[in-house]
Amino acid sequence: MESKRDLLKGSSNSLLLCLLEGQPMYGYQIVKELEAKSQGYFKFKEGTLYPALHRLEKSGVISSKWELLANGRQRRYYTITPKGQAMLAQEKTQWLDFFNAITMVLQPAKSGI
Amino acid sequence: MTRELTHYLESIRSSAHLDNCDEPAVMDELQAHIEDKLRDLTESGLSEEEAIKTCIWQMGSIKALARQIYEAYSQGSWKQVLMAAMPHFIFGLLFMLNWWHYPQWSSIALIITLGIAVYGWGHGKPVWAFSWLGYALIPVITAGILLLYVPTNWSFLGIIVYFPLAIWWVFRLVVQTTKKDWLLSTVMLLPLPIMIGWYLAICPTGKITSDSLQKVNTYAPWIGVSFMMLAFTIGTFIRLRQRSLRVGLLAVSGLLTITVAVFMATGHWDKASFFWPVVGLWVVLLFPPLLERQLKTGKWLPGKRRTTTVNS
Repeated sequence: MESKRDLLKGSSNSLLLCLLEGQPMYGYQIVKELEAKSQGYFKFKEGTLYPALHRLEKSGVISSKWELLANGRQRRYYTITPKGQAMLAQEKTQWLDFFNAITMVLQPAKSGI
Repeated sequence: MTRELTHYLESIRSSAHLDNCDEPAVMDELQAHIEDKLRDLTESGLSEEEAIKTCIWQMGSIKALARQIYEAYSQGSWKQVLMAAMPHFIFGLLFMLNWWHYPQWSSIALIITLGIAVYGWGHGKPVWAFSWLGYALIPVITAGILLLYVPTNWSFLGIIVYFPLAIWWVFRLVVQTTKKDWLLSTVMLLPLPIMIGWYLAICPTGKITSDSLQKVNTYAPWIGVSFMMLAFTIGTFIRLRQRSLRVGLLAVSGLLTITVAVFMATGHWDKASFFWPVVGLWVVLLFPPLLERQLKTGKWLPGKRRTTTVNS
């Protein structure tokens, strides 16, 4: 479904920042968390998550750190930075305004128009 | 990690053309993701074969993933732009200010170029180093041209000893660079067609004559402009993310530089000084990707067939 993919593409940064706002996460955990929180609505090619994360890291809105697990494996954990939190707050406001406007148009009775 | 997944990761690695400093972390992360995914899929009841197929399908196509990884890392900083454009700028300035005939300035420019090229080569081969490497070939080419003017016996020695050695060394350099990314070989060799164009515009017979220096003096500002155009091209190249745009930029800009510089400076349609640089440009653009393909299949380097190991 092309329109759903476009929506996901346009909002992927906000979704990633929103997930990382709660706690630092590694890539696979982000994929599972996104799928669980959206009840399976957001499904994408998992490999494409990493270029998105690396772009966000380059722009300074998230940072990463490798951590050594008890079993000897390493995982890269991503954390939102203060710059990322400011960006997320701004994007949340924009999304809520957009969502309210869409709701008012699609469901005029419920929104009180 | 099964052979299928190892091949999948290796294909991404070789297509993403990452810097040596970024590559291990990116590949380790993808490998960790695949291992987690595979474990979850097999625990959910899938057979190993089904789990591998599902895992690869859900990760995405090699081509798309490699392209996205490349675009996430390819854009260089403004500092890298400055470093990459600097050698073109230095040689451009040398001619625009007509300082090329002062041995001290030319020597300083060459020493700086060689020094920085060797430093870059020995310190992780960053993208900017390949602009410097292209100019580091100048002494090799100049020595070859000068050998044509020594007495006959020595000239013969030069032909049988120096030329094969020089060609072998340049070829090794191109092979090493192409192993990293063929586009960097093109960046490195890009000044050569321009230099060939100028050499043929100044010495149409191929031999340096008494009025050659006078011609260099006359064309010096245009030679400077052509190097400045290369500086601008390489600066733009470093800032572009998309690989296709980078290839297009080098092709268009190379042709434009040859056209503007050689055609405008000579004032007429000199076939030799235009045709051979264009042939040189096509070689510079087409030889590295073909070489890369050959290197990947291991046909040209016995005992150097593609490895299937992945950083762990």
